[in-house]
Amino acid sequence: MTTIRRFCCNDLLRFASVNLDHLTETFNMSFYMTYLARWPDYFHVAEGPGNRIMGYIMGKVEGQGESWHGHVTAVTVAPEYRRQQLAKKLMNLLEEISDKIDKAYFVDLFVRASNTPAIKMYEKLGYVIYRRVLRYYSGEEDGLDMRKALSRDVEKKSIIPLKRPVTPDELEYD
Amino acid sequence: MASKFGLAGGIPERRVRPIWDAIDSRQFKTALKITTTLLSKHPHSPYALALKALILERMGKSDEALSVCLNAKELLCRDESLLMDDLTLSTLQIVFQRLDHLDLATSCYEHACGKFPNNLELMMGLFNCYVREYSFVKQQQTAIKMYKLVGEERFLLWAVCSIQLQVLCGNGGEKLLLLAEGLLKKHVASHSLHEPEALIVYFSILEQQEKYSDALEILTGKLGSLLMIEVDKLRIQGKLLARAGDYATAANVYQKILELCADDWEAFLHYLGCLFEDDSCWSNETINAPIHPPKFVECKLTHLTDEVFDSRISNASAFVQKLRAEASNDSLRNPYLAHLEIERRKFLFGKNNDDDLIEALLQYYSRFGHLACFTSDVEAFLQVVSPEKKMEFLDKLMKNSNSLSAVPTKALGQSITLLKTQELIGNMFRLSVGELEGSAVQMAELYRKNLPLSKELDPQESMHGEELLSIVCNVLVQLFWRTRNLGYFVEAIMVLEFGLTIRRYVWQYKILLLHLYSHFGALSLAYERYKSLDVKNILMETVSHHMLPQMLASPLWADLSNLIKDYLKFMDDHFRESADLTFLAYRHRNYSKVIEFVQFKERLQHSNQYLVARVESPILQLKQSADNIEEEESILESLKCGIDFVELSNEIGSKSLTFNEDFQSRPWWTPTKEKNYLLGPFEGISYYPKENLTKEREANVRGIVERKSLLPRMIYLSIQSASVLQKDSSEINGSLADPKISSELKTLLERYAKMLGFSLNDAVDVVVGVSHGLKSYEAFGSDIIDWLNFAVFFNAWNLNSHEFGQHGGECTPGSWHLVNSLLESYILGKVRSMEPLIQSPQGDLPILVQLVTEPLAWHGLVIQSCVRSCLPSGKKKKKSGSMDQSLSLLTHAIRDAIQSLCGILEEVAKWSQDQINSPEDNKIDILVSPLRRNGQDEGPGQVFHIFETLVSSPNETELGNRISQALRDWSPVDVARKIVSGQCTVLSEFWRICESKIKSLKTLKQQIAQV
Ligand SMILES: CC(C)(COP(=O)(O)OP(=O)(O)OC[C@H]1O[C@@H](n2cnc3c(N)ncnc32)[C@H](O)[C@@H]1OP(=O)(O)O)[C@@H](O)C(=O)NCCC(=O)NCCS
Repeated sequence: MTTIRRFCCNDLLRFASVNLDHLTETFNMSFYMTYLARWPDYFHVAEGPGNRIMGYIMGKVEGQGESWHGHVTAVTVAPEYRRQQLAKKLMNLLEEISDKIDKAYFVDLFVRASNTPAIKMYEKLGYVIYRRVLRYYSGEEDGLDMRKALSRDVEKKSIIPLKRPVTPDELEYD
Repeated sequence: MASKFGLAGGIPERRVRPIWDAIDSRQFKTALKITTTLLSKHPHSPYALALKALILERMGKSDEALSVCLNAKELLCRDESLLMDDLTLSTLQIVFQRLDHLDLATSCYEHACGKFPNNLELMMGLFNCYVREYSFVKQQQTAIKMYKLVGEERFLLWAVCSIQLQVLCGNGGEKLLLLAEGLLKKHVASHSLHEPEALIVYFSILEQQEKYSDALEILTGKLGSLLMIEVDKLRIQGKLLARAGDYATAANVYQKILELCADDWEAFLHYLGCLFEDDSCWSNETINAPIHPPKFVECKLTHLTDEVFDSRISNASAFVQKLRAEASNDSLRNPYLAHLEIERRKFLFGKNNDDDLIEALLQYYSRFGHLACFTSDVEAFLQVVSPEKKMEFLDKLMKNSNSLSAVPTKALGQSITLLKTQELIGNMFRLSVGELEGSAVQMAELYRKNLPLSKELDPQESMHGEELLSIVCNVLVQLFWRTRNLGYFVEAIMVLEFGLTIRRYVWQYKILLLHLYSHFGALSLAYERYKSLDVKNILMETVSHHMLPQMLASPLWADLSNLIKDYLKFMDDHFRESADLTFLAYRHRNYSKVIEFVQFKERLQHSNQYLVARVESPILQLKQSADNIEEEESILESLKCGIDFVELSNEIGSKSLTFNEDFQSRPWWTPTKEKNYLLGPFEGISYYPKENLTKEREANVRGIVERKSLLPRMIYLSIQSASVLQKDSSEINGSLADPKISSELKTLLERYAKMLGFSLNDAVDVVVGVSHGLKSYEAFGSDIIDWLNFAVFFNAWNLNSHEFGQHGGECTPGSWHLVNSLLESYILGKVRSMEPLIQSPQGDLPILVQLVTEPLAWHGLVIQSCVRSCLPSGKKKKKSGSMDQSLSLLTHAIRDAIQSLCGILEEVAKWSQDQINSPEDNKIDILVSPLRRNGQDEGPGQVFHIFETLVSSPNETELGNRISQALRDWSPVDVARKIVSGQCTVLSEFWRICESKIKSLKTLKQQIAQV
């Protein structure tokens, strides 16, 4: 039912019904295209019958030493395809690429502290809240930095939660 | 940015750093200061100059920046001993690029590379310049040089990509691919390949030459191991095998894919394609293929014999059975959809009648009927069966509805699916008014009853049954279309507003509402809704069709201007930065993205919407300044007097256009921007195609662009033509009464007439006929605006030409009268027959606005130009003696024309004012009271009543706090008030436009009186 393949530019013209969702940000072109130019294996789309876009995930891999990690920049699923394990599949794919191909230590992501459905999902998928980032979203809403350790981080050091919240300028990567 | 030796462009790094820091923190003045100091020490340092230019550019001083840059460039090129480093060049490059002088940057790098032929860094810079210029051939040559220099795989691939671009996007012949292949082959033999992306490009080069078996050989060889993801590899393999015609092996490969990803629908379709030796699913891979392909899955079956078909289809069935059995969870839809597809093919092949397909659909429903995607899943299957069968399917589903799931959310989902299926097969159009009402009520009840299911939901989450309100709205609009009872229309609005009160994020409601508000003339309100969708970046290309077309014919010029400006800025920004991103893909060795990016940029450049916006943008400016001829002239000047647009008009016929709009989310009554069923009478059409009618739209867009892009030039020429006439020819030599203007305007008039389907003479006859009442306005068809424009420009031309003597001859009022009477009788006819806006959605307001802001405005410009040239100007000494006769005739004509336009505008303004001034409460009452006829079981208001009841006593324990609170906030009167004030905003803007024109005409009247 679902074909998962690399995201390509033309998909930008077809994802309107997914992106009109109020929690899904439509970035500028250079943002998408930078991801496509640099991390094409971290940008996947799920297509259903009639070539409908069901959802997509975009991410990257970055960091030095033990903080070499995969990052989920956005994951979103069109309302009519929700609760069918699609986001889970997309997340698993990104985790697998981070783990097997890029040998990263963990995968992380930021989520709005108010986005309860997404937080619940990430928790279900094994992510823990690593730290809170104060006023991460446009200087207003807090973000949660969530992480999941990969096989290379045998002792799961990367996900030991921080005691205190941080501010956006303390973040190592944006 | 530091170079190796702590030197930046020959200057110690520590001196340069503070400058960059200041630039980065946007302290341009400080930066400039430090740079000036630096320049006093190093007056001939190109790098310091480049920095200065960069800062000046950032400060907005483009001219200065350019001259400093040129200075730096000259130093670089002149002084042989100077250091030529990439840092200096790339800084200059940035500035040149921002100043739109890519060519100068390129020539710097060309010079540098000539001087230091073996400097890789400089060559990369040069390559980058060519990428920016889309000079594929030079890219290729530069890449080859780099490859020869260091032998690296990446430079070879840069060259290969450049070759591929020549073939795909340039005018390179296919045989170039052979060259690319040769290069790759040779490199592989000596060095092998190391990047998966390189391999992918290699395959595409081979594929383009249809060398499938060569590609397969490579894939299955050692190089194949570069592809780490097994499925990716299998997909390539399957495709190559199929294209090579080895369908049997390909089918096996697709089987393998399905065993790995049982849910891969595309793989299943390819699998079937291979079984049936049918390549139609691969033939559709052209660059300009529509972005939203038809849902219908193409397939060819006729070439198969009965036996072959039977055996293959039973193989497929067995395989699907197996997949289904192995599926770890039975929520996977693929195996079940696959079964449907098999039944569909059997039916298409004539093996089965459609009963089996219907049966399979029913099974699919029983399993997945509760899912929101059910209808879109089955759409393509339903398309192939007869209307009767569709009804039968629906009947069976209805029977099923007695045995809904025991889980309430599932049961609700099933019920909604049923309703959506009914919509999908067009059953709504068959139901009687009473039945439709009944079904709307039923749906509203269903919504109400199920509201408690969403009690615990987070407000961010979609609520259960949300879709119901969209369907109710669709039904109510249908009822309005049939009965023309405004109550249903208002009720449709209320339903959606009610839904938004409960949860304000539902974009589907917002889109429906914006169309309803547009149709109701409350465009400012529609625009509010549109803005709340947060349509930005690429969504402007795909979603703005919901709003832009209505705005083009509206008096909301400020909003329209923003809409167009934002859109054009987005597109132009992308065109500007796209090459840099392409270079990024080169650098990161994602070669397939290089090709993709360039093709994507081309797709956007050919966007039909982009072209239209580029034409509409100057026309809007011209409309906005039409009351002031000096302003108008300066706008025309900035448009090069419209020359480029004439060019565009000439070219449009041969330009390829792309259609990127996403029409999926448009309401049924306006499936494309060109269509609005509500404008016409009800027709019992049973199926409303939602597909892009690309062919039809293409012709339409070409027509619009071709015509509209002549306007700026015609306006310009008309002004010219009208301003030279009075200087009587005896006194003035040819330079003023420029015959070129007259002949060019005539040529354009001929073209304009031709677009309307006539020769110039015949078109003139038509307008004369209509103005004399010999022909009716019907003769203009739907092109009324264009016809009136034609009449206006014809008059302007006639003022300066002797050709159409029979219509008045030199400066006589004939053609003036023609225009006056056409405008007067048409516009006043419209105004006098228009019903109050509040009672008649849409009506003629948009056309009225266009009439006033286009032909009437252009005519006003002709008048202004005439008046101006009649006035004694300061520079020339006033002609003494008697006014000659032609001048007196002309002033007379002008006075009449002014009088006529004023009369028209005053009546239009009064009409608007009356609408605005009619008491708000009355208007609100007109909207709300038809809905509040409690207890009626007929006519509008029944759905509304259900919500009113719910609101009057919300059960807080059942609904929870949030929903109860939202219900308490619901106020239909507020909604009605917003509609009223939305209409008033539009009318006020229109009134303002009329008033401004009246004012300007009155001034002209005084001026002409003094002549
Ligand atoms: C969050 C989102 C991506 C989930 O997509 P999805 O395809 O429905 O998620 P899945 O079906 O894969 O969910 C996997 C599990 O996550 C949990 N989960 C998902 N959505 C949930 C919700 N709304 N509430 C509670 N748990 C949820 C569930 O445990 C679910 O498994 P289950 O259905 O078997 O119980 C989707 O709701 C969405 O697109 N939201 C808007 C965009 C967004 O917020 N993105 C995240 C920020 S970048």
